[in-house]
Amino acid sequence: MAAKGPLKLKFKGKTTKGSKGGSTSTSSSSSSSVSSKFEVIKDWTNWSLKKAKVATHYGLIPLIIIIGMNSDPKPHLFQLISPF
Amino acid sequence: MADLLPPLMAAQVDAKTKVDEKVDYSNLPSPVPYEELHREAFMSLKADNFEGLRFDFTKALNQKFSLSHSVMMGPTEVPSQSAETIKIPTAHYEFGANYFEPKLMLIGRVMTDGRLNARLKADLTDKLIVKANAQITNEPHLSHAMFNFDYMGSDYRAQLQLGNSALIGATYIQSVTNRLSLGGEVFWAGVPRKSGIGYAARYESDKMVATAQVASTGAVVMNYVQKISEKVSLATDFMFNYFSRDVTASVGYDYILRQARVRGKIDSNGVASALLEERLSMGLNFLLSAELDHKKKDYKFGFGLTVG
Repeated sequence: MAAKGPLKLKFKGKTTKGSKGGSTSTSSSSSSSVSSKFEVIKDWTNWSLKKAKVATHYGLIPLIIIIGMNSDPKPHLFQLISPF
Repeated sequence: MADLLPPLMAAQVDAKTKVDEKVDYSNLPSPVPYEELHREAFMSLKADNFEGLRFDFTKALNQKFSLSHSVMMGPTEVPSQSAETIKIPTAHYEFGANYFEPKLMLIGRVMTDGRLNARLKADLTDKLIVKANAQITNEPHLSHAMFNFDYMGSDYRAQLQLGNSALIGATYIQSVTNRLSLGGEVFWAGVPRKSGIGYAARYESDKMVATAQVASTGAVVMNYVQKISEKVSLATDFMFNYFSRDVTASVGYDYILRQARVRGKIDSNGVASALLEERLSMGLNFLLSAELDHKKKDYKFGFGLTVG
């Protein structure tokens, strides 16, 4: 779990290794539900940021091209490919 | 009442030429953004010198949308343990798409090795601007992103910065008089747990700009730019770090001529550099760059062409 590599994600104030160790060590019956909810939220934010990174990596340039080709005056598809 | 208005307006129009002008403290101009505090000095002193060949072709499909193709070939430095710099020749091609609208600007650049460099600037309202900057690579843990939220008040600017790996920063700059603006910044970085605070001041008139910046990381930067005429400006800069006791002073010039622009500087580290941008014809620019580092015996020369 510690080797998940959370370094590149934004919400790291909550999900550093220290706080993960801290939340699992204080496992009494009342706080275990709170800490497991916390874990679920952390895992969900990790997953969504990973997906957002992949989506941006592949999709940003196509998105800009689509927005640009639909702006007015609408350029022709041929202008996208030719060097003139 | 009507008699009071014309003298005040005339004083503001001639404000820069009269010695004792009336300052209207309720109507100060907006200050420059905090990250552009040293803008004039860095135009001469931190010109982007490069090594090797650089060819940029920008094709505008319409007024808002353009594509760019960029080829760069040359030695790139690889960090090494020994004192000598190791250079490895590389070549890459970068494809970019830009979309500019008054309220939205999107720039994306992707290289042949899969690295994406993206910038976004959007005006959410006429006072709140959000900017984002991201570099995404295929290797894990090497991508980073930074989001800035800027609020522009009538005579101040405030900015909040959020970066990945828990980086939070805030800056604030306020115009104190027509010419003087003062600002400060605070940042907190999560991964190497450190925080810092810094202060900055900028004094400008239409012939000169002087700025100073101090930070708790130990960096002190002071620079002064004098605009000698429309075509010539000279700049000088002094940087020192009071923890590591590094001092650097540099002097530079910037000549803006009709067909060319030459910028050069010389440094106390024994570095002399110059950059020439010449307009050969409409839309065709020729670049020549040279940087001589006598202390490290590292000499870099570059040439390039920019079309469009």
